[in-house]
Amino acid sequence: MGKRVLINWNVVARFMSILLVVNGVFMLAVSVFSWFNSEEFFYGILISSISLLLLGSIGLYFFKQYEIESYRREGYIIVTFGWILMALTGTLPYITSGVFPVFTDAFFETMSGYTTVGASIIPDVEQVPQAVLLWRSITQWIGGMGMIVLAIAILPMLGVGGMQLFAAEAPVFGEEKLHPRITDTAKGLWLIYIGFTVIETILLKLAGMTLFDAVNHAFTTVSTGGFSTKNDSIAYYNDMPLVQLIVMVFMFLGGMNFILSYYALKGKFRKVFADDEFKMYLTVLFGFSIIVLVFMVAHLMTMEDRIMGYVEITRHAFFQTVSIITTTGFVSAPHETWTTFISILFFALMFLGGSAQSTSGGIKLVRHLILIKNGILEFRRAFHSRAVLPVRYNKKAVDDNIVSKILAFFTLFTLTFVVGVLVFTALGIQPKDAIASVASTLGNVGGAYGELNNDFIEYSVTAKWWATFLMLLGRLELFTVLILFTPYFWKKI
Amino acid sequence: MKIIIAGAGEVGVHLSKLLSFESQSITLIDVDKEPLDVVSQQLDIRVVRGDASSLSVLKEAGVSDTDMVIAVTSSESVNITVCCIAKQLGAKKTIARISDSELFTAQDEIDFKAIGVDELISPEYLAAAEVSILLNQNVFTDNYKFDDGALTMVGVILQEHSSFVGKTVQEVSKQTVGLEFVLIVVQKSSTGQTLIPRGDTLLNAGDQLYFTTTEEGVSTLYDALGQKHVEMENVMILGASEVGFQVAKELSERKVDVKLIERDKELAFEVANLLPNCLVINGDGRNIDLLMEESIEDMDAFVALTGDSETNIMSCLLAKSNGVKKTMAMVENIDYFELLYSIGIDTIINKKLLASNSIFKYVRKGQVVSMAKLSNTHAEILEFEVSKKSKVRNKYIKDIRFPREAIVGGVIRDGVGIITLGGFKILEGDRVLVSTLPKATKNVEKLFH
Repeated sequence: MGKRVLINWNVVARFMSILLVVNGVFMLAVSVFSWFNSEEFFYGILISSISLLLLGSIGLYFFKQYEIESYRREGYIIVTFGWILMALTGTLPYITSGVFPVFTDAFFETMSGYTTVGASIIPDVEQVPQAVLLWRSITQWIGGMGMIVLAIAILPMLGVGGMQLFAAEAPVFGEEKLHPRITDTAKGLWLIYIGFTVIETILLKLAGMTLFDAVNHAFTTVSTGGFSTKNDSIAYYNDMPLVQLIVMVFMFLGGMNFILSYYALKGKFRKVFADDEFKMYLTVLFGFSIIVLVFMVAHLMTMEDRIMGYVEITRHAFFQTVSIITTTGFVSAPHETWTTFISILFFALMFLGGSAQSTSGGIKLVRHLILIKNGILEFRRAFHSRAVLPVRYNKKAVDDNIVSKILAFFTLFTLTFVVGVLVFTALGIQPKDAIASVASTLGNVGGAYGELNNDFIEYSVTAKWWATFLMLLGRLELFTVLILFTPYFWKKI
Repeated sequence: MKIIIAGAGEVGVHLSKLLSFESQSITLIDVDKEPLDVVSQQLDIRVVRGDASSLSVLKEAGVSDTDMVIAVTSSESVNITVCCIAKQLGAKKTIARISDSELFTAQDEIDFKAIGVDELISPEYLAAAEVSILLNQNVFTDNYKFDDGALTMVGVILQEHSSFVGKTVQEVSKQTVGLEFVLIVVQKSSTGQTLIPRGDTLLNAGDQLYFTTTEEGVSTLYDALGQKHVEMENVMILGASEVGFQVAKELSERKVDVKLIERDKELAFEVANLLPNCLVINGDGRNIDLLMEESIEDMDAFVALTGDSETNIMSCLLAKSNGVKKTMAMVENIDYFELLYSIGIDTIINKKLLASNSIFKYVRKGQVVSMAKLSNTHAEILEFEVSKKSKVRNKYIKDIRFPREAIVGGVIRDGVGIITLGGFKILEGDRVLVSTLPKATKNVEKLFH
């Protein structure tokens, strides 16, 4: 065994090469689509894709795989730089097609895609060539796939923000071999992910969408991304209730723990419904939808001419709540239905996040759940100073270490939020917009709602770069990125 | 009857002692020289030094024609191995001591007989069961079941306000005519003397009484005694040992509020994980501040089950001085017992007494089917099976010439317990419970021979 180097750059380079190939393959598909669509810029995408494939293949040729003891440091680097590399190379179709002449804008849009945030700075989406729109949706879909690997394997392994809670949870797909456990799990869950996408596409097509729109929306729903091919987002389909219902169901699935989906598909429903986080997911979705509904109805009563019926408003209340809690960010309800309270409530919901091990972003429900339980126990601990009162998650006592990691995550999230707002306001952005922007980028939601609107189009170049940084931070659960800024990371013990 | 005992630990030595008094032929095996030397000086038994799981040692001990092998070393895997080998070599019956309660409760799943282990004995499990039973019927200090509960022996400390206080045995039996229990042993608190009750024995507050009773008789005994049954709501357990954990588990399943104190932090966390309904406290049970903080004065019972007898005794005394009504301590040293009762500990749990009592029922010497040795008295309760040759066959109890230090506690006929009076005729096949003092045991045995 050779001397252990601090960071094995060979491994990092190999993973980067793989990512280049992945991006190249998807880009190639888009260029073919572009050619069929007889868009004149198709060669630009084609050349970009071929160069990525070439670069990636050369990298794979030079950087051979070999085993190292621990991937810890490399893991942090691969994840952070991987996302950045994807976003950098992902700008090529936007630039070659001329949709974004400015690199900053293109980078913003791709980062928003790969992080499945879904904030867009395209003023008129419906004017953008279809191939570029498809690429835009694909970036979110790839981002969702990346998130599955990240959430199921990497974050638990690195123990980011208490996610080692799930370290031993992953089911084994196929026969158990020495190493490929994580790979097998990821492959199995990708199959579910792809399956969801295909089914949603078919259902949306049957419900009346065009095939192109169906594919795009399926890509951005299952990944809980939220890019739409329509300027009005899902509100465009307000006369197609079925479309909105289908999108809602798949947002729900995207924000649900994929491991639980796996168990559900295996018919082990008891395991699904016994899960504490899933119970909370259901409770939170229903509870807040009902609250939103009550306030929307109350608001509607005050209007002179009723703009919609109760069935419709119920649909909007549920759709909008699910969209925000799963951090998708689709918009269905017209602005007139919202009161200040509802806007503020939606803003607050951005801090919830979906389930762990899903494609959703944000703080995640399991962290809230454990902190709430811990908070309640604190009252009991006040009377029994020596008592061992562990937080229980799925009937098992949670190690104190995990609770404190989650607390640290909360603290870091809050701090990042404050700093994020400060930087935006320093860059001249209105406080209300600054607050909404940080919540929606850090929480991976994307859109902002009602009175707290954020229109990134107007932001300065610096503000856009700051927003992309926040998106990356939010997606990679803060620690993964921020740890690269600590001196410990670059030193041997 | 030839018996091999593997392991000269507390249980092994105690069993050797009991069985050698019964003049069985005992061979004791242990790896250590010292305990063997001590035992061979005191008892009339054969000792073999060596590893009991080795073939040559077992052969040297004469395993091939032995009637019973009892493996009671501290390691359960050694015990099981000894039994497997001994069975293969021709031992008629094998008994293994295990400490893992999981294994003990899995006897339905795993066929231990198939691998050569006829019976499993778990002192920890027995102790946990004993504590749970006693907490459940908390008026009683001791409890022993004969023939799966056909007859039960219970002990009780007479309280000041009991209707029995200040009366003679004769007066009490007049008062309780027709009720299903018999007083069999009295331990006087004033003199510390153990008596087999006679008509003129006077009962005072603080005396410890032992009764035999039928299953239905238990509740009538409650009523007649006039002692209150306190519903156990709050119980504090000291020590998350195997026994402590089992008791905590059983009690919390019965919805009792359990506070379990454990000194080891990791063990405390582990137990807290397994027992969600039980409040686990990480601390030292000898620390009075901790006990006060956890409001020991509100406890209905305090049970000290750590591995350290002295800690158990001290913390029970602390609990008693803070007004806890019922205290139980797990104590290893049998010699302490009398002293401990006199300083106010209500019940003493001794794993080796429980284990040896339980093993004893497999050792059928003559007509003794079962035996209970009362933990703090000299008396013992013997269960005899009446054979064809027995002198008491077809006799009325009043006509049998019992020694003064023995009394019939009841008869089990066809599995049904009967509380007997002088006019009861003993038949062949009956099982007779006799309470005796050691000096009368030989004479009683002769009667049943």
